[in-house]
Amino acid sequence: MNIAARSVLAFGKSVGAATRVFKLGGGSTLPGRIARRLYPGFVPSMVRELPLGCALVTGTNGKTTTSTLLASVLDGAGITPVHNRTGANLMAGIASALIRESDLSGKLAARIGLFEVDEAALPAAIRETSPRLVLVNNLFRDQLDRYGELDTLAGRMREGIEGMDGGATVALNADDPLVASIGDGLEQKVVYYGIQSERYASDTMQHAADSKHCTACGAPLAYEYYLFGHMGKYRCPECGRARPEPDIAAVDLEMLGMEGTRCTISYPGGSVRLRVPLPGLYNVYNVLAATAAGLALGVEPETVFAAVESFTAAFGRVERVDAGDHQLLMILAKNPAGFNEVIRTLSTQPGRKDVLLALNDNIADGRDVSWIWDADFEMFTGRLHNVTCSGIRGWDMALRVKYSELGEASLAVETDLERALDASLEKVASGGTLYVVPTYTAMLDLRAVLVGRGLVTPFWEG
Amino acid sequence: MNVRIGYLYPDLMNIYGDHGNVLTLVRRCRWRGIAVDVDELKPGDPVLPGRHDIFFMGGGQDREQVMVARDLIEVKGEAINREIEDGAAALVICGGYQLFGRFYRPFDGEELPGIGVFDAYTVAGRKRCIGNVVAKSALGGKAGLVVGFENHSGKTYLGQGCTPLGMVTVGCGNNAEDRTEGAVHLGAVGTYLHGSLLPKNPGVADFLIERALSRRGHLLPLRQLDDTIELRARQAAIARAKKTH
Ligand SMILES: [Zn+2]
Repeated sequence: MNIAARSVLAFGKSVGAATRVFKLGGGSTLPGRIARRLYPGFVPSMVRELPLGCALVTGTNGKTTTSTLLASVLDGAGITPVHNRTGANLMAGIASALIRESDLSGKLAARIGLFEVDEAALPAAIRETSPRLVLVNNLFRDQLDRYGELDTLAGRMREGIEGMDGGATVALNADDPLVASIGDGLEQKVVYYGIQSERYASDTMQHAADSKHCTACGAPLAYEYYLFGHMGKYRCPECGRARPEPDIAAVDLEMLGMEGTRCTISYPGGSVRLRVPLPGLYNVYNVLAATAAGLALGVEPETVFAAVESFTAAFGRVERVDAGDHQLLMILAKNPAGFNEVIRTLSTQPGRKDVLLALNDNIADGRDVSWIWDADFEMFTGRLHNVTCSGIRGWDMALRVKYSELGEASLAVETDLERALDASLEKVASGGTLYVVPTYTAMLDLRAVLVGRGLVTPFWEG
Repeated sequence: MNVRIGYLYPDLMNIYGDHGNVLTLVRRCRWRGIAVDVDELKPGDPVLPGRHDIFFMGGGQDREQVMVARDLIEVKGEAINREIEDGAAALVICGGYQLFGRFYRPFDGEELPGIGVFDAYTVAGRKRCIGNVVAKSALGGKAGLVVGFENHSGKTYLGQGCTPLGMVTVGCGNNAEDRTEGAVHLGAVGTYLHGSLLPKNPGVADFLIERALSRRGHLLPLRQLDDTIELRARQAAIARAKKTH
């Protein structure tokens, strides 16, 4: 490690300590932002010290869950990674993780780097970290206000991936046509994963669906079935381009509501029956993604599956909290596809639910809240008891609920998150569960309230 | 009483919650006891004389927009113009709005012809206009305001043959130069505002429904609905627009 990097590192570490002391947040991006400004070659010079290289995880939905799963897989294999674990997924977040996990001489305890990366930041992350593995889990229309169009975004990601070392591996979701097309004719090794089951399929696409046209010839794709948004089994009737056969596949699915999903995962050389301990089909994809990445990085299959089965959710994505007489289940939903999957999962469970929906429009949530009109709230019909809408745009959420005509459910609006939490908890029967569905910054704020009450720990200590 | 909506290219042009506009028209009719049907008008489907009272088209990505432009010119454009001259209402958003103008001129490549419902044209712009918008508008109810969210790089310029939907007080609007936002010609409304537009702007929704009913010979004023949540959401959006600009 060179002198520039070392002096920048020392300064960065002191910034990180200061932000924590002065409670400026988790110190998750500021040190890295400063380090990269002082020395643009900081990240490349740090990752060169990692003998097992780097892996990057990206995709619209499930980045944090997938990379946290993969971190426990690597942990189980005895190679605990340096990991930007708090969702700080731009270059500054990666640099900050490297600062936090190294000593003052720049020595990293970790031998491998694992970084979740924002879709738009992938080309830069590839240039700066020279990864041996890149994983793309899905591409949904999410915050187009930041990215422009999905096709353009996929094109830029593909350009970045083409620039990788020829010996690197690319793991792609076969069920997402736009993601799968990134693998067409790549020099690098491509591994596909997908769900091979029609049991929970539907023959119509949800409103939220995004990728409907053949990337090769532009013709509308024909789907045999849809699983989750635009994921499914597809084929182009014009040029014949079809879903690639997955190398790693989930078969014989049995969804167990909030308890997760039981399935068999087949992989080159074997198969295993296991329980995915997280709810919803989207988490089956996250598990397949982590499995594909773990195997590609050379971890033994038994180690991979042991880590998956014993996994507990990444902070905030799905979090159970005991709040006295009640249980609180917090599930992040930041776009229509994610929201639909939350609705579908809640709806598979018996009984009418008490729900708190919290909609913020800060930059990290996306300033544009129009996506709530693409989510299928109508699936909630007859399944809700009380709905409380909160957050900066709580009235927009209430309007969405009003126009979905949820019948008997009572609707309340309280834009202040803490007051909304208390008001909605009051309506839950003793021993019951409040389902809290926030956007990203609403989740952070609600979590801060729970931290203040001693019910959960701050995430940078977690 | 009944109203029939022609939803143009629902599979191709439905970015940014456009579906919510159709949902709002349907609900606000049904809450007043007016029956509604929605026909999906896909590529190749003809527009039949007198069948649809309100046309709706949302925005789309570039590739979809090119496919739709071709179908509009070859199959539907003439009929849509005829229906609007004959009293039908229309709401077209973003990419749909551009295609209802005379043409779209990209930086390079061929000019994309529109169907010319609006005397307006669009040229590609270098800067993307993204953010909350507030505009003064005659269709903005008691407060005289419409609100929404814009996300476009095309710059639209209006000719003499149409009037703007409103004048922006926050945001870019049509072209970030003359403060105009959207266009109105007879019962047709074009705009860059999504959000979805109609739930938070019940005045615009009811304007379209009234046009549709009057074409069918019903001239009675629409029954007022309880718009408390609509107006609170609009106030919140206006406050947010002022704060985030
Ligand atoms: Zn094709």
